[in-house]
Amino acid sequence: MKAESMKIGFIGLGVMGNPMVQHLIKGGHEVSVWARREASAADAVANGATFRASPAELARHSDIVFTIITTGDDVEQVVLNGTSGENGLIHGLARGTVHVDMSTIAPTMARKIAGHLAIRGIDFLDAPVSGGGMGAQNGTLAIMAGGKPEVFARIKPLFELMGKTIVHVGPTGAGQITKACNQMVMVAAIQAVAEAAHLAAANKVDFARVMSAMQAGSAGSRVLDFFGDKMARRDFAAGIEARLHHKDYALIMDEAARAGAPLPISAQVWQQLNALMASGWGKEDTSNLLRVLEK
Amino acid sequence: MNIGSNIGFIGLGLMGAPMARNLAKAGHNLHIWARRPQALAQYTGLAGYTVHASAADVAAASDIVFTMVADSPDVHQVILGEGGVAQGGRSGLIVVDMSTVAPATAREVATALFERGIDFLDAPVSGGESGAINAQLTIMVGGEEAVFARVKPLFDLLGKSVTLIGGVGAGQVAKACNQIITGVGVPAVAEAINFAHKAGVDAQRMREVLLGGFAASRILEMHGKRMLDRNFTPGFKAWMHQKDLRIVLDAAHAQHLQLPTAAAALQLYNGMVGSGMGEIDTTGMLKLFERMSGIDEEAVQ
Repeated sequence: MKAESMKIGFIGLGVMGNPMVQHLIKGGHEVSVWARREASAADAVANGATFRASPAELARHSDIVFTIITTGDDVEQVVLNGTSGENGLIHGLARGTVHVDMSTIAPTMARKIAGHLAIRGIDFLDAPVSGGGMGAQNGTLAIMAGGKPEVFARIKPLFELMGKTIVHVGPTGAGQITKACNQMVMVAAIQAVAEAAHLAAANKVDFARVMSAMQAGSAGSRVLDFFGDKMARRDFAAGIEARLHHKDYALIMDEAARAGAPLPISAQVWQQLNALMASGWGKEDTSNLLRVLEK
Repeated sequence: MNIGSNIGFIGLGLMGAPMARNLAKAGHNLHIWARRPQALAQYTGLAGYTVHASAADVAAASDIVFTMVADSPDVHQVILGEGGVAQGGRSGLIVVDMSTVAPATAREVATALFERGIDFLDAPVSGGESGAINAQLTIMVGGEEAVFARVKPLFDLLGKSVTLIGGVGAGQVAKACNQIITGVGVPAVAEAINFAHKAGVDAQRMREVLLGGFAASRILEMHGKRMLDRNFTPGFKAWMHQKDLRIVLDAAHAQHLQLPTAAAALQLYNGMVGSGMGEIDTTGMLKLFERMSGIDEEAVQ
């Protein structure tokens, strides 16, 4: 039996958002979209979405609104402050509706937005994703959610259209904490692979062969397979733009200081990312951490 | 042109209270206000001090206002916020912020004040509580030379090394550099003392001999002694140095600047704050290393 068609709003039509909208439409749902520049919504509209004039207008046509935007400040503007006067999501969402933010932002910002929405009887989930543009296209994203269990249960069928591994981690903010852990482990692993590639090259050993020897052993990992291969082929094009990982590190390290948690390795990776940015590689892949070592 | 003798002072904490006292001792009239009323209790009726109801009232009664508060949001609040200095200050007032805050905060506050005809200097200090008490502070100033020249006689009542570094914000940049070096220096000395101790070497003698060589520094001398005396009373609280290093690393992040050593040091201050040592002196870093080395604190004492 096909699930009941729902009225869904979606804001953030980038590399991630566009394919996610397609999956929701294919799932039989009625999707409204909004973007700062209407041209950015062309693909979504061609696929059957309806363009709305503002976030508030979109909210008035939706029972559930998803956002996937770059920074916490942008999310705050679209949801709470409005982009031009009182036209934020909060100004259009009815009591009993749900806002699901899938952006990667600070846990404190997620809690702040949830608090403002709760006052008006609007539910909130923070549900950042991992898996990149490829995962979004194939509907195989990992989705890590924070919020009330009953709200998660309500949204789960929609998550299943976009992702494969879907976990309710805990209360509001828990999704963002999980995403921070994900980024720390992944980017630190990229740095470790870069250092291995650098050591191999310094000893005139072919890193492609080093990799094939390591992959089946204890050092084998998805990061080694994917980023090690890029480094071996010296393919430094994105992938995931390094500037986004750089942005994530400011959130992670801020949270660590606030919580009084020492993160010595993450702190070093953060500084390597600063050097990567200074070299002008922010819009290229994070595998450029290798080229930082080669400078 | 000399500044009149009515001086506003906001922020009467560990540093601010002795600084205000040094200004009062020189015969100036101190106009004060604090966000916590209990901080003012001891000043009511005290000769030389007038307690006001708001920062704006302090500004209205003063020729110059000093602020010495904890963090950027505090500076924004007491200067630009509701009932703040800017609301009571008339054109021609000078505001001197001696707090340690982000250089960007100094520039924002200065811009807002300039629009009202109020001059601004950022003048963070180094030297800790003892420096404040003994008027031995190092003061690093950013702002216009003419304004600096007018305030210099008052700075001389507070510190012994007073330097104009550059335009507005330059004082905070110099202070950030100071916090990088001291922030890294304190854990370095704590590591060395813990290392000597673990190796069964008398750390007192280690410190003594090192003070004659290239590792000699004010931190080895002063902080090293406090660590050996196991005197962890602030001084300078660990959470404040954590805050200062966060300012530095946030600025470095924004400028794409690599500061690996400062980033490592910040993690150690995170560890102090997270294990309940935020309110003790930064020299308590030694205790953090001892815990991680399996040393029983009782046995050390």
